[in-house]
Amino acid sequence: MSDELIRRPQETSTNGIEVPAVPTPRLVFTPPIDIYETDDGLVLLADLPGVSLDSLELQVQDNKLTLLGRVKSPVPADAQLRYQEYQVGDFLRSFILSDEVDHDRVSATLNSGVLKVWLPKAKKAPARRIQITPESS
Amino acid sequence: MPLFRFGQNWDPFGDLEREVDRLLRSVDLTFHGIRMGRQYPAVNLYELEDEYVLTAELPGTKIEDLELTFAGGILTLKGCRDDSEDVPEHRFRRSERFRGAWQRALSLPERIREEDLTATFTDGVLRVRLPKGAQTPARQIAVTEGNDDPSRSEAPDHVG
Repeated sequence: MSDELIRRPQETSTNGIEVPAVPTPRLVFTPPIDIYETDDGLVLLADLPGVSLDSLELQVQDNKLTLLGRVKSPVPADAQLRYQEYQVGDFLRSFILSDEVDHDRVSATLNSGVLKVWLPKAKKAPARRIQITPESS
Repeated sequence: MPLFRFGQNWDPFGDLEREVDRLLRSVDLTFHGIRMGRQYPAVNLYELEDEYVLTAELPGTKIEDLELTFAGGILTLKGCRDDSEDVPEHRFRRSERFRGAWQRALSLPERIREEDLTATFTDGVLRVRLPKGAQTPARQIAVTEGNDDPSRSEAPDHVG
């Protein structure tokens, strides 16, 4: 009887009840995308459910296009998860743009969780003739 | 890292890159749980003090294409998404996003005030709020001593 009384508090502490909650790390997902060609360039569509205009970062640096969408939980923090089929997390994906994309004219819209990026074709530089000279010894 | 280019560039590593892309992509999608035999859309159910909240990720779906019905404890979600329907198939360089019509039927927790269901759709996320009904107090069921002989039963309720 007395054994039990002594053991009980130890049990609760080893069960992790007294351990401070460790903040769960943010999850990052690769969003599914479509890319299709138009006469003027490429169009990229990315599914970013839960991302709003002010939580989306889209940038072109050098030849890399990066999208980062931050997602807020759709429910208050005290909500208990009862059934789960998907996890809530941020979206991150980056792409290498070829030189044929006009980096300065890239534009985008965001509409009910779908990002649409226009990647217009750069105007082709005219073909340049390369002079061939015999190798001098 | 995904990579795409215009036209038919001379690109000796293209095939390898495509293979690696494809491999990574399938891993990503498996991890995210989309497709790969899973139902669309994926849903979550949360419980709060006075309501349940069902959420579903439906990016790119128009509100007018969404249909929610509730009958007999079953919530049916129905809709379609086809936001690039006029693009011919051969124009696609990549096609990873779900397209088409879908339907899901979900049985809801008990004690839901059906008449007070509300739904919102923001940034491609559907939220259905399911207010909890009043909890009926636990009812005591009296147990009386049984009589082994059915012919001496004091409550001769003959059915039929």
